[in-house]
Amino acid sequence: MLIPMRESFEDFKNSFSYGSRSDLSFKFLKALSDDQAAEFLARLLHEVGEMYDGAGPEALLDLAFEWQVKAYTPKPGAERPYVYEEGPFEPLTHQLEETTVGLVTSSGHFDPSDPPGDGRAGTAQESIIDRIDEFLRNAPELSTVDLSIDPPHLEVVHPGYDTRSASRDPEVTFPARALQRAANRGGIGSLASTGYSFVGACSQGRLRKELDHWIDVWKGAGIEALFLVPV
Amino acid sequence: MAVVVRSFRHVAQEMKYPRAVITQHPMGRPMGPPEDSSTHDLVVAAGLELLTNASAGSAIVELHGPYRPVT
Repeated sequence: MLIPMRESFEDFKNSFSYGSRSDLSFKFLKALSDDQAAEFLARLLHEVGEMYDGAGPEALLDLAFEWQVKAYTPKPGAERPYVYEEGPFEPLTHQLEETTVGLVTSSGHFDPSDPPGDGRAGTAQESIIDRIDEFLRNAPELSTVDLSIDPPHLEVVHPGYDTRSASRDPEVTFPARALQRAANRGGIGSLASTGYSFVGACSQGRLRKELDHWIDVWKGAGIEALFLVPV
Repeated sequence: MAVVVRSFRHVAQEMKYPRAVITQHPMGRPMGPPEDSSTHDLVVAAGLELLTNASAGSAIVELHGPYRPVT
């Protein structure tokens, strides 16, 4: 992609969000004002300078997370679409040690031997990022993952977040092994043998229409409690 | 019944999740760094404890461990 020779600072900071320098770990820069983004970058470079003298990466990591939270925290008075007065709650009906727990994530994982029909299979993450608008208009597709799969064989492609860490280790967003260890220790009755994942960057209205069917699928699989990881 | 694991407490509060574990992990890494099974187990344990012990909705547990990649 051509990068303009002259661009404003605003254009520069916004380019990390589905732009010429797209990096989904730093797409939050678009939500910052120019002054805020400038302050973040100045502090970032300061911490890099500290590393010349042996400082570890901890301050850099903490700084990036601090500003990600700042960017995503709603401004006072901002319109928020998903604010509810009440939420659902059901207590466990029996001991957790007798309960079948199911894993559901919006991380975009799938078994390549059972690829989703949305074009992610065999497609590079960078190409899928370019299709974010299309995904946000479409209904999500629920992928089923046999949890006996060897983790390196799982694929993850998602237009809404930086999948580098999830590509290196699925547990980062699809914690099947951690839940299985909990089951092995007797912490839960069992982990459902099938996990589920979809791309959360989808039409939220269409997602709501899918949920009744998805809940039937999960109940049909014997799942009594859900371990949900939205990404 | 369900428990959610995520970063960004404000979303859990707005959406009134029945139970939520909040981590201090950057977007795309809610369970923790790659190959850090100790942290993943800690987060799972917090979630399972909430499943057991929460008595009402909007139950939130916030884990304060920073994000530290395994080296």
